[in-house]
Amino acid sequence: MENTSYDIKQLNEKIHQASSFVDILNMEINKVIVGQKYMVERLMIGLLAQGHVLLEGVPGLAKTLSIKSLSSAINARFSRIQFTPDLLPADVVGTMIYNQQKNEFVVRRGPIFANFILADEINRAPAKVQSALLEAMQERQVTIGDTTFKLDEPFLVLATQNPIEQEGTYTLPEAQVDRFMMKVVIGYPTKEEERHIIRQNLQPEGSVKINPVVDPQDILEARKLVRQVYMDEKIEQYIIDIVFATRNPEDYKLGKLKPLISYGGSPRASINLALASKAYAFMKRRGYVIPEDVRSICFDVMRHRIGLTYEAEAENVTSENILSEILNAVEVP
Amino acid sequence: MKVNKNIFVYTLLGCLLATSQLFAQEQYQDYFKVKASPDTTKIRIGEPIRVALTAKVMIYALKGANLKVVFPNLPDSLNHIEIVERTQIDTTGSNEQQKLFKQIVTLTSFDSGRWEMPPMKFEVFSVTDGSYDSVFTEPFFIDVNTVAVDTTKAFKPIKELRSVGWNILDYWPYLLACLALSAAIVLYFVFWHKKRKPAVAAAPVKPAKPPYQLAMEQLELLEKEKTWNSDVKLYYTQLTDILRQYFEQQFHIAALEQTSAELMQNIKPVTVLNQQRDKLQTILTVADLAKFAKLQPSPQEHEDCLRKAIAVVEWTKPSAVATEQPAPNSTNS
Repeated sequence: MENTSYDIKQLNEKIHQASSFVDILNMEINKVIVGQKYMVERLMIGLLAQGHVLLEGVPGLAKTLSIKSLSSAINARFSRIQFTPDLLPADVVGTMIYNQQKNEFVVRRGPIFANFILADEINRAPAKVQSALLEAMQERQVTIGDTTFKLDEPFLVLATQNPIEQEGTYTLPEAQVDRFMMKVVIGYPTKEEERHIIRQNLQPEGSVKINPVVDPQDILEARKLVRQVYMDEKIEQYIIDIVFATRNPEDYKLGKLKPLISYGGSPRASINLALASKAYAFMKRRGYVIPEDVRSICFDVMRHRIGLTYEAEAENVTSENILSEILNAVEVP
Repeated sequence: MKVNKNIFVYTLLGCLLATSQLFAQEQYQDYFKVKASPDTTKIRIGEPIRVALTAKVMIYALKGANLKVVFPNLPDSLNHIEIVERTQIDTTGSNEQQKLFKQIVTLTSFDSGRWEMPPMKFEVFSVTDGSYDSVFTEPFFIDVNTVAVDTTKAFKPIKELRSVGWNILDYWPYLLACLALSAAIVLYFVFWHKKRKPAVAAAPVKPAKPPYQLAMEQLELLEKEKTWNSDVKLYYTQLTDILRQYFEQQFHIAALEQTSAELMQNIKPVTVLNQQRDKLQTILTVADLAKFAKLQPSPQEHEDCLRKAIAVVEWTKPSAVATEQPAPNSTNS
């Protein structure tokens, strides 16, 4: 253990107090978002762990509304970029325009200068636009002309991908997808949730307004605490085992997975799995990580980091199937 | 008379000197001898002639005897004669006095007539002093005759195909290949069978001792060793591992690969185990805190957890599983 004098009890209490805003935030968001608790929870993990989220789901599942509500509840700036094949990098990051009156070039900032970005249908734009956004995500800064601008914190990119209508899309390369901390697959709401959605949308008072309940500064403070959440070396070993099992499944008595995996999780996968586990523990108001935390976010952190072979695709084996096998084979500490 | 005697002596000495000089010259002239000896000089069209080319060098004639003999460089075809084959130069006949070089050249001709094999040039170099000499072989004639055709007789019809009798020796490569293939198949099946055997044997993996007995022995050992005095984390890891192994062997629940929450969920269908869920919940919660949150439970709690673990194993021992009759006052402690 890196610091034996670490007072978990004190930290636990601190986190218990500091994480109280999570419930308030959830309550406020739930005023407009019916169901989709899973997605909202993952957005919060991304927010707390400084990781961007890739959402995959059919249109109309309240992806935009969720992130809009989240930004409203945090009193943060929100911008939405609809990715299209004719979009240019300058349309995202901004450009220099000529001011005739002043006879000089001035910087015109793009929509990326916000706290919450919704990159809608990211796979519809060509590679150079995708990489411009992903570079900004990674560096958290943008260079326009000769000037470099730091992006405001908190900075969270929520990109969406439509699993249908793949024609004319530019699939994100593996290296780019790896930069997203999580890939969340959103499903349809339940019957009961759908009934609530209809009623809520048809009520005569109109749509409910979200009030700012959390300050961005609170989020930044919470981020610092998330990194302090205690992770035992047994949990670290568990994370390493899971990631290594995606690379060398035969070492974990999972030789049958070897022909199905073309490449396993990168070290970035281990980092993100650890960080997201800490954020999850924080949301559960704990000052330490338990194996449940790792398992809860494992699918979202790992699913886009496992390359499937042609054989796997031919047999309709998904990365989720592989991860299930791995989680059922790797011993829990 | 004295004058005549002197003349005679000088004449005799002169003769002797001249003779020895001539002898020496002859000796030096013969130090490099070459020869081309055909085995025959009369052939029918296309028949081979083996010509032995020999070069003999007397070593005493060359300073240092470090010599190099160059054989004639014959073209593939010359003067109606074809060079079919050349053997390697053979030096086996050499000894301390002489060096013998031998090469067999096979010739033939496809033109009838009398053809001359021209003189062939051999060269000898002394590596020691750089001296050089060359000698030619004697030319020889080859009579190439056509096959005599009796034109007075009529043309004979083309002969029928002759069938050759079956001989096992004609098919030995195929028989050998068949045998090798059969042997490979047999060996493959033998090894495959051997390889499969342990897997088949490993499937039941029945412990030498019944799970109940094994768990009780391990718990008693744990109690005796009192590991909690030295390493609390190790103690709780061992305690939960004993229980998880017991559940895996006794109830076929993959407990080692499940988190505490998952385990509590999965024991529900096992009635006899579910009856002990409160005790189990306490053990797992304290163990998780000790393992992952650096909690230092009191000595009372260590022993209490051990007692509870023994009670769970006692309650769920095979006889209890068979009868499945829960005692109402023994579910919780």
